[in-house]
Amino acid sequence: MAAAGALASTGGGRFAAIAQGGAAAAMLVLLVALVQRWPSAAPWSVAILAGSYLAGRTGHTRVDGWAAVVGVLLLLAAELASWSVEADRRIVAERPLVVRRALTLLGLCGVALVANFLLLASSAVAAPSGALLATVGTAAAVAAVALVVRFATPR
Amino acid sequence: MTPYATPKLAGYAALAALGLLASLVLSRPELVALIAPFLLALGAGLALATTPRVSIATSLERERLLEGEETSVRVAIAAASPVDRVDVYLQLPDGIELLDGINPLSLRLRAGETRELELVVRARRWGGHLLGPVYARASDPLGFLRWEAIAPARQELRAYPVEDVLQRIVRPADTQVFAGNELARRKGEGIEFADLRAWTPGDAVKRVNWRASARRGELVVNETHPDRNTDVVLFVDSFAEARHAGEGTLDLAVRATAALADAYVRRRDRVGLIGFGGILRWLLPGSGTVQLYRIVDALIDTQIVLSYYFREIDVIPRRSLPPRALIVALTPLLDQRSIGALLDLRARGYDLAVIDVSPLPYTPRPERGSDAVAYDLWVLRRDALRHRLQRAGIAVAEWRVEDPLQLALEEVTAFRRHARVARA
Repeated sequence: MAAAGALASTGGGRFAAIAQGGAAAAMLVLLVALVQRWPSAAPWSVAILAGSYLAGRTGHTRVDGWAAVVGVLLLLAAELASWSVEADRRIVAERPLVVRRALTLLGLCGVALVANFLLLASSAVAAPSGALLATVGTAAAVAAVALVVRFATPR
Repeated sequence: MTPYATPKLAGYAALAALGLLASLVLSRPELVALIAPFLLALGAGLALATTPRVSIATSLERERLLEGEETSVRVAIAAASPVDRVDVYLQLPDGIELLDGINPLSLRLRAGETRELELVVRARRWGGHLLGPVYARASDPLGFLRWEAIAPARQELRAYPVEDVLQRIVRPADTQVFAGNELARRKGEGIEFADLRAWTPGDAVKRVNWRASARRGELVVNETHPDRNTDVVLFVDSFAEARHAGEGTLDLAVRATAALADAYVRRRDRVGLIGFGGILRWLLPGSGTVQLYRIVDALIDTQIVLSYYFREIDVIPRRSLPPRALIVALTPLLDQRSIGALLDLRARGYDLAVIDVSPLPYTPRPERGSDAVAYDLWVLRRDALRHRLQRAGIAVAEWRVEDPLQLALEEVTAFRRHARVARA
């Protein structure tokens, strides 16, 4: 999270101070989430850091290639935080289970990094931002919201 | 298994929705790059999640053991489908402690795999302990969904109290008609010399005391005391107890009752049991090892049950209190109902001995103030109560946890001897 925060806050720009403050706030929220063992607070720290990264990028017209790395670092931070919050020292986990989980996380981060680079590379290709692209984006967002509602509704 | 979504799923989904909307509104592709890993994790997690099919069974190496002994519990977990992670927890009751093994444990199971967890447990306290249920919680590889299940089958582990070996016990005042180890007061066929009397027709020649006959100049025969058995009823007061740091007066009373039952049964006496408390239970007097097992089995189910019902001794069947039986009561003298019942028994003419299982070691005296004064008054009232029982002809001895039971029994025996002399 610190690495992601550093990358986010070193973007410069007009709102560099806001970006740095946001990164610090994100670290604080994550710390509180870890200390208080609030699993739902970790994504908020990611959201804050993403916001501060965005603030740091204000004024830049070129797409930042480091965003791929920041995204993966954020995922890694969120996953490790979730692991830490879940961990109960009364429950002993078998070693192969821990190794498998770590490998799964590393694999996920690797795939996410590749996917992010592909995504950013494709964004560099000049394409008209038409109604179709906006519709696809909106549909993805609506699908994500639907997923939230689906799993947040008690059954 | 009951499924539910973790807060992580909702958090990631909310983050993804927020990021995608923001990237659309702000036209920043970097935001998509920040959010895409979370979307990928969500997709991968939900795609890999399969409902786990797990069955759990528990078994005990020994179902009966003595207080302080160890046994193994086996928890077998069989998976019909692959389970990436399952936490298994066997709930252990208060009187059982884990000596070896891991509980709870997180493990991974392949489809068709069965794992057996062995836990070595020790019965810290006597009683009927229910082991379980076993709780299982499975989750998908990325922890977005969880499934919980409870294996309701519970194993019963019966831990019997460890008995003291008693050198001497309280001897009943009266004997019964069957052969036993107690010397009867009345005269009859036996080996213990009682008296001399003049020979009468029908007396066996082997009973003639030739030395006494030579001195007296007439035939004199020996009279003897027969060896008879006795009826003993053990009265356990379970209305109230004093308890501190996992030990209490009921534990002491139960251990003492088991020791007394064992000692009396060895003497071929008939022994009965009355558990007088919120739950009333009794065993009719009987003899032999089977009766001892019955008593101990009944004892380990003894527990304090809160009750406001004022029980009297009338509620106990008459057959469980045979005439001329010795009643040995083990009571902390904390509840007025059991004290009333003891006085009632004495008023009915029963031979009664009371072991006052002292609650004082379990009730530390307050340092100062009105609490300390109240405590001292309570101790004085307990002394007064014991004297009241003694005035009623009941042998009472206070037994503290640090003293051997034998000491209290000797005190009771001494009082009974003294009381007999006083009556004469």
